[in-house]
Amino acid sequence: MFNKTPIAAVAAASLLLIAGGCSATNAGKTEAAKPMAMAAAAPAAPAKVDYTKMSAKDLAEYLIFEAEGYDLKQATQEGTSGRDRLVQDEIQKACSLMKGQEVSDKDREKVMALAAASIKYPEGGIKLGDWKKGRELAWSGFGYRTAHNPDDHSKREAGGNCYNCHQLATDRTGGDIGPSLTGYGKNRGASEDMLKYTYDVIYNPHTYFACTNMPRMGAVGVLNHKQIADIMAYLFDPASPVNK
Amino acid sequence: MLKKNLLALPVALAVAGVAYAGSGMLPEDALEMQIKKTNSSSYLTQSPQNLMMMPDNPAWEVVEAGEALFKQPRGPKNASLEKCDFGKGPGVLEGAHAELPRYFADTGKVMDLDTRLVHCMKTLQGFTNDDPAIKQKHGSKTDIMKLQAYIGSKSSGMPWNPPMNHPLEKAMRDAGEVMFYRRSATMDFSCATCHTQTGKRIRASVLPSVYDAADWTKAISWPAHRTSHEQVRSSQHRVLECLWQMRYPDIKNGSDASIAMISFWTDAARGEPVIVPDLKR
Repeated sequence: MFNKTPIAAVAAASLLLIAGGCSATNAGKTEAAKPMAMAAAAPAAPAKVDYTKMSAKDLAEYLIFEAEGYDLKQATQEGTSGRDRLVQDEIQKACSLMKGQEVSDKDREKVMALAAASIKYPEGGIKLGDWKKGRELAWSGFGYRTAHNPDDHSKREAGGNCYNCHQLATDRTGGDIGPSLTGYGKNRGASEDMLKYTYDVIYNPHTYFACTNMPRMGAVGVLNHKQIADIMAYLFDPASPVNK
Repeated sequence: MLKKNLLALPVALAVAGVAYAGSGMLPEDALEMQIKKTNSSSYLTQSPQNLMMMPDNPAWEVVEAGEALFKQPRGPKNASLEKCDFGKGPGVLEGAHAELPRYFADTGKVMDLDTRLVHCMKTLQGFTNDDPAIKQKHGSKTDIMKLQAYIGSKSSGMPWNPPMNHPLEKAMRDAGEVMFYRRSATMDFSCATCHTQTGKRIRASVLPSVYDAADWTKAISWPAHRTSHEQVRSSQHRVLECLWQMRYPDIKNGSDASIAMISFWTDAARGEPVIVPDLKR
């Protein structure tokens, strides 16, 4: 779901174990050289580590994964685990920017290239769907929440969460972390280029805005082609309240 | 609220000077001071109804129940919690919450209010993890919540001042900072996605920014009664619930990961007054 290969996940886990092992006060060379053995032993008897000898980043990773600060085995709606939710992919890593930190030119290029490569277009091209369905999808913040109160996707489909951050039609209150999209289609027109641009932004906005706050709704599989078409209709259809 | 607080304001401001000498301040007065200081920030003033209700906060009943529970001999050891050391000496509650999380030499760990309380309930009173007194973490009816509300209220009006003298305190705070900006899960959210800009909204809710300490203190002032839940909630519960919305798996109650985050967010409110018990949406 997150474009993570199993090999990359194993490599990341091993690196973490090595990082943890190096900081372990009682870690000898043999233990550091056998990360997999440590992995097996870790849950039963966590190695005594000195937090003050670790970098903040290493400690954060240690607290999340090795110390099992989260329920790493928790089931997710996409059939993966809590651990998979927490392992960062390349875009998440490059975009975890601390205070005052900006994405480097190299990372920006990498993020945009990864994002562009992730986009899959519907067969038969980008078309507009049903704006009424799109309206409800844009409003719905349901889906993929796990933790203590998991969203049941068999009862209700996951939504687009658009109104969390955007104002769309003015009959409902939207947030303002993202720009206002009121009058979207009316102001921009519905040219082929504009439809493609909009599809890309919904699918994976890092294609144009590296390290944006906006989720990758298509790339991670929260919204499928049909749902994106419905949300796009809500944005572009002259009859949609967005354009009234 | 306006009528009452306009009259109360000079009093609140007068008390403010005293508060920093360590004698505390009612949460509504501490909040009024912040509203004044921020020139009525949109975050602090977003619920006039809650501001008006502050003096009649249902959390006060929970605080009172907590006081009784605190002083009552309980558990297998039939002891009260009056000898519990929350960092300022056995039994000293005044200002203790304002200086948590902190390092405790007896456990060798940085602990927040929740974990320190549980530690004392085990060591002084003899409760175990399976006892309802410890096992039930959330809701106004739980012992943990009553006790936290009482202990927390003893810091109201005092400036957040979590110590950073021990290297572990600094390490935990710094790891918490990394976690605050660390993006992951389905929506790529980090805490920073919602909490680094002043005055922004998720739908109609105005969000607090970690860079705006005068606002931020209200965001991290727990225990607080949440009107939408009709329950008093803790810092640990806030962490849990934010992460649920962020599509993260369950964070474990009292884990070092949770304490690291609470260390960072408390440090970000340093110097601003504790507002406990608060009343929130």
